[in-house]
Amino acid sequence: MREDTIPHLLWRNVKRSSDRVALRQKDFGVWQEISWNEYGRHVRHFCLGLLSLGLKRGEHVSIFGENNPEWLYADLATQSAGAVSVGVYPTNPPKEAKYVIGHSESVFVVCDDQEQVDKVLEQKADLPALRKVIVIDMKGLRRYKGPLILSFEEVEQLGRELDQKDSGLYGQLLFNLRPEEVALMVYTSGTTGPPKGAMISHANVLNMLKAMTQVLPQYETDETVSYLPLCHVAERMMSVFVPLYVGSTVNFAESLETVQMAMREILPTVFLGVPRIWEKMLSGVIIRMKDASWLKRKIFEGFFQVGQRVTRLNLDKKPAPLGLCLLHGLGDLFLYRALKLELGLLRTRVVLSGAAPISPEVLKFFHSVGIPVLEGYGMTEQTGVACANRPDDVRLGTVGKPLPGVEIQLAEDGEILIRCPHNFVGYYRDPEATARILEGGWLHSGDVGEWDSAGSLKITDRKKEIIITSGGKNIAPSEIENRLKVSPYITQAIVIGDRRKYLTALIQIDYENVGKWAQERNIPYTTFKSLAQNPQVYELIRREVEEANRDFSSVETVKKLTLLEKELDHDDDELTATLKVRRKAINERFGHLIEAMYKG
Amino acid sequence: MKKPHLQIETLHLRFGGIEALREVSLTVGEGELLAIIGPNGSGKTSLLNCINGVYRPQEGKILFEEEEITHQKPDHIARMGIGRTFQNVELFRNMTVLDNLLLGRHVRFRSDILRDGFLGYRNREELDHRRKVEEIIDFLEMEQWRKTLVRNLPYGVQKRVELGRALAQEPRLLLVDEPTSGMNQEETEDIARFILDIHEEVGTTIVLIEHDMGVVMDISDRICVLNFGKKIADGPPPEVQGDPEVVKAYLGEEMQKVEGKESRS
Repeated sequence: MREDTIPHLLWRNVKRSSDRVALRQKDFGVWQEISWNEYGRHVRHFCLGLLSLGLKRGEHVSIFGENNPEWLYADLATQSAGAVSVGVYPTNPPKEAKYVIGHSESVFVVCDDQEQVDKVLEQKADLPALRKVIVIDMKGLRRYKGPLILSFEEVEQLGRELDQKDSGLYGQLLFNLRPEEVALMVYTSGTTGPPKGAMISHANVLNMLKAMTQVLPQYETDETVSYLPLCHVAERMMSVFVPLYVGSTVNFAESLETVQMAMREILPTVFLGVPRIWEKMLSGVIIRMKDASWLKRKIFEGFFQVGQRVTRLNLDKKPAPLGLCLLHGLGDLFLYRALKLELGLLRTRVVLSGAAPISPEVLKFFHSVGIPVLEGYGMTEQTGVACANRPDDVRLGTVGKPLPGVEIQLAEDGEILIRCPHNFVGYYRDPEATARILEGGWLHSGDVGEWDSAGSLKITDRKKEIIITSGGKNIAPSEIENRLKVSPYITQAIVIGDRRKYLTALIQIDYENVGKWAQERNIPYTTFKSLAQNPQVYELIRREVEEANRDFSSVETVKKLTLLEKELDHDDDELTATLKVRRKAINERFGHLIEAMYKG
Repeated sequence: MKKPHLQIETLHLRFGGIEALREVSLTVGEGELLAIIGPNGSGKTSLLNCINGVYRPQEGKILFEEEEITHQKPDHIARMGIGRTFQNVELFRNMTVLDNLLLGRHVRFRSDILRDGFLGYRNREELDHRRKVEEIIDFLEMEQWRKTLVRNLPYGVQKRVELGRALAQEPRLLLVDEPTSGMNQEETEDIARFILDIHEEVGTTIVLIEHDMGVVMDISDRICVLNFGKKIADGPPPEVQGDPEVVKAYLGEEMQKVEGKESRS
């Protein structure tokens, strides 16, 4: 059996372990299991259904919705037909969704519910290529029934009928697939311009998988919980590609709000978090410890320190003295186990952080409580992963060493250049940008980095975002921003200072945690705005910033700060779908606040 | 007009000298979403209370599915298939969302002491009820609060739980009393969406009391306007909106308020 395209991996698993659980979904409060056999059947029928609706090789199908098994069926069905699947962020406002669906010239959009259908219909006039909207959950759509809208089941039914008429058709489709063909497109989040569609081939994905699993081996018995947006290359890797490659099980929570609960029930063995998730988990623990009884707090502090010492020794590859080992064992009994269970990370073997830079402070915390989070680095344009810390070789603050088969070079200005078998095919309908980023056969990452003494890569920042102060000093704002976000009271921080005398920061407070803090002190507030305007809150944040400042040299410290009076929002164009800050929009919108910090 | 589901004929309700409802006649078609609006104290809630048997009108008749229910007890009316939510949240605060919803299934429990002896029967029945309740949790998107005590929930969610409890009864007619009062914009939109979903997906006939005109105009098929216990208008939203009597009723209230303030000062 061939194993050189993504759908072929699925069918190998169907053959090899047909009744094993491939997917699990919580429905009506009960985990429902889906075997590889059923997974395959859904993909086969949905694929043939799309075919009978007229899907042709090389056309595009957009998938617009939250994570669920149907997302995966649609993805693999599209690829089986030799077409290209395109993920759209479920949080995208109508205009951004239209951009992706329109730019990719998608002929079908698979939506998960009425919310997404509304967004598509609102923009229908600007989507001439769109032929059908296929809906997974038809709830609330009775009155829309028209020739444009079709349910997911109806398409599967069409596929079943076609399968009965011509049972060899699907096999023929698979036979026609070529590894070098484009399988999917991932639209980059677009912190600067509009998103670009990165074309990724079957071979790209398989090469990436080969390299990645050598460093971070995974097995059939592994479990993962799918919760980050599937259109992002990192989550696609963790809940589609790797499970297909090794035959592990993917679990879907009922909704984003219940992910924590699902984690505790499943206890995944493989888990990928983005920095925002790790920061939230960390602040959750800190806040709860502040509320805990005196005894609990002391136990936490004591064993946390033990954990820190053991971690430091481990990272330096030095043996820990026997006494410390014993204490550490006790700590497991009293603290680490309970904490890991609470976070749903008790069984995790492979714990990763990626997609954005994370503060080493956050990583240190998790290592100290026995959750060895490994930071990795990669780009959409090279199928997601280039470097990773190895479980036995962790260097905090770096993204580790290149994966096997990945070559990394630093350009003269420090830009990271990558050459590997999983460098992408190119940007869709943008040969110029493709030529620019792949100049000389190297992928120009746009990130600036440096090697540390042990040969691990350290990422400084995005090339474009490096701040050069009027004193001529180069400063990486994201390092400072991530340090600020370690505070449970700070959700977003934007450091400013390009061509200025000193650094300042715009800060968005954490509504929940600061709100709680205010309530405990009887500080009245009604809305986010009134909370952010409170002088005592300002004082709290100022202290947090001062605390962070201690970790930096004096030119790198934040001298003045302003609290934002509204929460930054994707809908308002201030954040990308992955919650990265759009600096340009922020500079425009809050220009007056910034200027005020440099006056007088 | 569709087949009448609920018929109210010349209803009179008096509390001593106060006439809460005066000659109110109203027909609600099967599968219709009727909104009742009117100034404060115009008798909207009294009308609902008459329908589900809390108040006993002095005159007039109420027919539900062509059966007279005028002087029936509330529990009997609930069993017949009329569900209800209240203006102020009336839930069991120290119970979980799940238990509150399961309680809503009470009218549907068939087992009794005799049948409880056969454990198999009871377990099966409980499973069926749990399944139904889980469907409602899914429908109203309350998965994250399944095991949360009601008193720990935000007000907007409590209202949603109450709607869920009414749904658990599987009513054919649902009476909803001011579902959006005290809610913020987002919560209001959510609830309006859910009511519309219940109406369209389940096909339940709904009588809705609501103050938020945006919601009323958006989702209802027909609007009935009460003023001082009298029905002053009844028709599709655009028609009612332009009705001079209705405008007067609302404006009149404003005028009274202004006058009241002046006379006090």
